[in-house]
Amino acid sequence: MPVSSLRELERELTELRAASAEPGAPPRLRTSVMTHIAWVPEEWVEAATGTLAGLAERHPSRTILLFPRPDDPRDVLEGEVDFRCFVRGGQEREVCSEVVSLRLCGRRASAPASVVMPLLVSDLPVFLRWRGPLPFDAPELDQLVGVADRLVVDSREWPDARAGLARLPELFDRIAVSDIAWARAEPWRCGVADLWPDIAEASALRVAGPEPEALLLRSWLSARLGREIRLDHQPAGELELVAVDGLDAHPARLEPLTPSDLLSDQLEVFGHDRIYEEAVRSFS
Amino acid sequence: MTEAAVAENPLAEGLRMRRPPEPFALSIFGASGDLTQRKLMPALYALALRGLLPDHYAVVGVSRTPLTTEEFRARMREAVEEHGRDDFREDVWEHLAQRMSYVAADFGVESGERPLIDCLDELDATQGTSGNRVYYLAVPPKAVGPIVTALGRARTTSGWTRLIVEKPFGYDLASARQLNDLVHQHFEEKEIYRIDHYLGKETVQNMLVLRFANGIFEPIWNRQFIDHVQITVGESLGAEGRGDFYDETGAMRDVVQNHMLQLVALTAMEPPIDFEADAVRNEKVKVLRALHTPGPKHVVRGQYGPGFIEGEPVSGYREEPGVAPDSETETYVAAKLYVDNWRWADTPFYIRTGKRLPRRETTIAIQFKRAPHPPFEVDDGEGLRPNVLLIHIQPDEGVSLAVGAKVPGQGVSIRTVHMDFLYGGAFRVSLPEAYERLILDCLLGDATLFTRADEVEEQWALVDTMVAPWTRDKPHFPNYAAGSWGPHAADDLLHRDGRSWRRH
Repeated sequence: MPVSSLRELERELTELRAASAEPGAPPRLRTSVMTHIAWVPEEWVEAATGTLAGLAERHPSRTILLFPRPDDPRDVLEGEVDFRCFVRGGQEREVCSEVVSLRLCGRRASAPASVVMPLLVSDLPVFLRWRGPLPFDAPELDQLVGVADRLVVDSREWPDARAGLARLPELFDRIAVSDIAWARAEPWRCGVADLWPDIAEASALRVAGPEPEALLLRSWLSARLGREIRLDHQPAGELELVAVDGLDAHPARLEPLTPSDLLSDQLEVFGHDRIYEEAVRSFS
Repeated sequence: MTEAAVAENPLAEGLRMRRPPEPFALSIFGASGDLTQRKLMPALYALALRGLLPDHYAVVGVSRTPLTTEEFRARMREAVEEHGRDDFREDVWEHLAQRMSYVAADFGVESGERPLIDCLDELDATQGTSGNRVYYLAVPPKAVGPIVTALGRARTTSGWTRLIVEKPFGYDLASARQLNDLVHQHFEEKEIYRIDHYLGKETVQNMLVLRFANGIFEPIWNRQFIDHVQITVGESLGAEGRGDFYDETGAMRDVVQNHMLQLVALTAMEPPIDFEADAVRNEKVKVLRALHTPGPKHVVRGQYGPGFIEGEPVSGYREEPGVAPDSETETYVAAKLYVDNWRWADTPFYIRTGKRLPRRETTIAIQFKRAPHPPFEVDDGEGLRPNVLLIHIQPDEGVSLAVGAKVPGQGVSIRTVHMDFLYGGAFRVSLPEAYERLILDCLLGDATLFTRADEVEEQWALVDTMVAPWTRDKPHFPNYAAGSWGPHAADDLLHRDGRSWRRH
């Protein structure tokens, strides 16, 4: 049922919770390990919905989907709440997570923190998945970074990855950052690490794959070895080849993970990724 | 890449993907047995599916049964399809099957190990297994000696060697010491991995996390706040085709000596300085050394007679196949133990395990002392009950805390309610099987979750003390009905102390 205020939304959640307990059946457990906020501009709705399918089952959480509609002439909040329950084989009780979808129309889109803060689950970490490029000077990013513990981005979604990575360190003092492009490159980083110590004096990196991964691999290798590394990049849809000074790296895992798996992995990471931050700082 | 190389490799820092083991050849003795089919091969398949095995490895089934490699692979495929926790994938199976071979060998005869050694040497050349050997002894205790001696004679000079030995490790303290001495003649202690699969269970490891990663528990984890501890390892199954094995072993040696005493040790141990193998095992050994039972009347044994399980009539133990009709083997043990140290003095640990109990359940219940002076006049209901922290090892893995809560309405009526943390609710991934974790740990050279020689000997020393009176006292078996919670004497064990077993 659509709601138009946070009070209505909370009432709806309470009613759904009560209604989910069937007479005579064991109560359904509301379980959360985090609050998961997703900022989903219109062009990313389809991709985000696909990624989120199945995620709640792996990470029981209160998921808050924020759909900014700044160009909507109405200055309103529209939302729905949903209770998603899962049964695990052999267990008597169902476990339920909450999904709150909110459209922030008009001016409401510029003050998302005030919408989100009343809905955070106390004492649990807050993950913010930001779809698309990061608007570094926009108040909505500034506000949501202020309430979240970890920001999850995918630099592959950025039209100019080099420029985005150059500004990303501005956030490192405020929030821990995960980059899904960095996660995609991890099997290849393992492969490169296996080439040690033969590549201790390396000077050239050849990458066939998306540009963000290529840039990150180059800056990582350069920072780790303390040497200038020349990048020979051939564009491709996925990482297909990584070679250091002519030595091919063999990825630790061949099968690419699904978008859900990649995001799911990042939701298990807490704290700063010092190696990633070190690599990204070299873009500044 | 060796561990030392990883440590000094600046490119390895920060990688979350777990380093795969070095190349290895794993020889499974007892390859035609039940454990291999139900646990070991499904575990290897699960590891292969998750990409946790290296590119170069080999699995060699070893047994006296004459089989071709093709027949062995076919049997193992069936086993994985039937017992694996994942959907069967042809490509993963092919990856594993191509690295699998079978050797029929009789280690009871002169040079009986030769076919296996030749096979392993050949695998070094063809599969790149680098002389690294893992020998998994899934065989009865009496077969361990000849195999260990033969393998010791034929050790490779290149690569490392690790020996996994299944329980029971010995039959009593004397035989365990003898076996330890024999194994130590050929293998260093750091090469020996005595397996107790309970230690591979996620929830058993979570016990350490619960205690040592949460500041709220450790300050009250002592005799001042805890009234007593109850540990239950219950099975609804009977001897189930293992009658001949079980009749020689019994509940004390099959469960108490290993699983149960390990659970006691994990519950009572002091915080280790780190999670390295020896730090954890040192603390466990201290507890095992401090354990004692106050006397024969505090150890209860039982044997099930006919009864009902889930509404079905089931036969008594003595009617099970492979069991002597006048068997005096215990299928149930309950005991009161004390840990003689500063933290636990005078705090009883009640343990019980049995077959044909009403349900399969492994739990550790920490019962706290009652509130000293409740300011309520309790109207009705169950009144004030002590808080219980319940750690569910299986099934329904998780932790519950029983707390008293006011029933809504006038007056004060108190009901016990459970605050539950269900493992499967918070972490919705299927938990790895214990054998997956333990096999992988062994391949990586991590012995933290394996039992050390002195641990095994301390466990047997306690068990020997508990069973000593049994040699002179004839039991009155059967003394509990299948489907009940054990003999009356087990209830008396707690009633004498003004306590009772947890309600189920």
